[in-house]
Amino acid sequence: MERIGKLPKLYLTVVFIILYAPIFYLIFYSFNSGGGMSDFESFTWEHYAAVFEDKRLIVIVLNTIIIALLSALASTAIGVIGALAIYFMRNKKMRNAVLSLNNILMVSPDVIIGASFLILFTMIGVKLGFASVLISHIAFSIPIVVIMVLPKLSEMNPTLIDAARDLGATSKDIMTRVILPFIKPGIFAGFFLALTYSLDDFAVTFFVTGNGFSTLSVEIYSMARTGISLTINALSGIIFVVTVGLVLGYYALNRKLKAPLAGVKK
Amino acid sequence: MKSIYQAAIVILIVSGILIFINDKLNEGGSAGKNTITVYNWGEYIDPDLIKQFEKETGIKVIYETFDSNEGMMGKIEQGGTSYDITAPSEYMVEMMKEKNLLLPLDYSKIPNIKHIDPYFLDLPFDPGNTYSIPYFWGTVGIAFNPTLLEGQTFESWESLWDPTLKQRVILVDSARETVGMSLNSLGYSLNSTNLGELREATDKLKALTPNVKAVIGDEVTQLMVNGEAAISLTWSGQAADMMYENEDIDYVVPEEGSNLWFDNFVIPRTAKNIEGAHAFLNFMLDPEVAAQNADYVGYSTPNLTALDLMDPEVVEDERFYPDEETRSHLEVYKNLGLELLGVYNELFLEFKMNLR
Repeated sequence: MERIGKLPKLYLTVVFIILYAPIFYLIFYSFNSGGGMSDFESFTWEHYAAVFEDKRLIVIVLNTIIIALLSALASTAIGVIGALAIYFMRNKKMRNAVLSLNNILMVSPDVIIGASFLILFTMIGVKLGFASVLISHIAFSIPIVVIMVLPKLSEMNPTLIDAARDLGATSKDIMTRVILPFIKPGIFAGFFLALTYSLDDFAVTFFVTGNGFSTLSVEIYSMARTGISLTINALSGIIFVVTVGLVLGYYALNRKLKAPLAGVKK
Repeated sequence: MKSIYQAAIVILIVSGILIFINDKLNEGGSAGKNTITVYNWGEYIDPDLIKQFEKETGIKVIYETFDSNEGMMGKIEQGGTSYDITAPSEYMVEMMKEKNLLLPLDYSKIPNIKHIDPYFLDLPFDPGNTYSIPYFWGTVGIAFNPTLLEGQTFESWESLWDPTLKQRVILVDSARETVGMSLNSLGYSLNSTNLGELREATDKLKALTPNVKAVIGDEVTQLMVNGEAAISLTWSGQAADMMYENEDIDYVVPEEGSNLWFDNFVIPRTAKNIEGAHAFLNFMLDPEVAAQNADYVGYSTPNLTALDLMDPEVVEDERFYPDEETRSHLEVYKNLGLELLGVYNELFLEFKMNLR
């Protein structure tokens, strides 16, 4: 790491401090017995205990995670198929048109997407709740997956497919043994991006929640008027620690899996 | 592709387990058909009371929250939901009434209405309380931090114009409150429809410009608590939050008068369990319940009998439970209609553009 100069290093440090300071500030006060975020009285675990006592809050957190996992999974499947369809489209004009439509969905404001989903669901009589939230999350995640997978596809050398066909591979073989392995990083990136999009979406979710089903972002926003309690700080702390744990676990697992492969290459 | 399948299966299994846990936690939810759905502001009820209600009546409560009157009405108007109870502010009650979104209340099922202070009943936004029952109420006034000031007090709106307060006053970013404050300072009604009076109020507001530090929303609480701001125009509930975190802060309702606001329980037209909704309303009006709830939420309760059960120090605090004399100066917002609301917004914008 000698190649990094002093100035970039300093810059990087400052950026990281700016990004992480609010999180640590928030976690710091989750241990405050004072009840507010102004002055620190003494250390306490009571807010953490409150998180585990609040059944409603736990249900909402679980709802949020379930929706994120399922919607990311479904949108990844649909998005990969969509990206493949766009990639193999013969008609150039058509391909560009579809791609533009995909991009328009990416940049259109969440509020508009949310409002139109609300209108759609009430029009066709879908009851607002788990299903409506899941469907809309899948919908707004698909364009993201497409965008993540497409570059991987265009990176792929088309002669690879020809070579496979020459060697007698069926279409199914080409798909599962050539194309999918090649675009795998794009698929996983798309999945994780969809996951995070779903986890923190407020605008769309607000419109389509109902009948007792709610997610964490909607719940926290609605606390705004009467003040967000330190329970939320504690909950954020727990989520942060779990996330860090998952990321570290992911890297550890990755290294373990990669090690034998590196040996084979030699 | 093996690893992709594996990942997908792992995700499905994890989700399955989570759904199972969630169902277990939610148990009892699908047991009886007798449920009601309550749509309320965030952190606006003591959760223990919901449990108590479920135990007493056997009616299961599904509780959901919203963060603005407009968002709430949007969802109810659009349909697709079946909220049995919701809690709009007074101007929104009027609007929902006009749009025919509310059901009239059956008072034979709400005997506890007798505990509500008659002062809060039969108001212009809902004559005869056909559709709504007051839940919490409050005022608009001035929160200030005496330790940062030199003995100024704010018995009168006029004191905000004090030339020594350069760059110290924070206003709320809301047309009715700010223009209304100026109208009050001139001795006019908050619901003034007289364009001459409105013009005068705006000009007076412009004269306040040198003293205005910022025009913002809810962020003001933190600024006041941290002592970064000394004076702010604010709602009593917000002032209570400030005072809870910083004991130096004080709150007054100036003597010229001010706004009296309400949040009210109503039953939307889309309600499914009207019987259960009435039971819930009656339960919430029970003096013991109302007292416990007011203790938890921190806003002022309109329940007269409940006041006797509460901490006398809170109830006697005239900043939050003003006496008859002060109350006689308070006015509830009337729905002025879209056109006049437009005029208020226009004038407020004119003032804000003048700030720089």
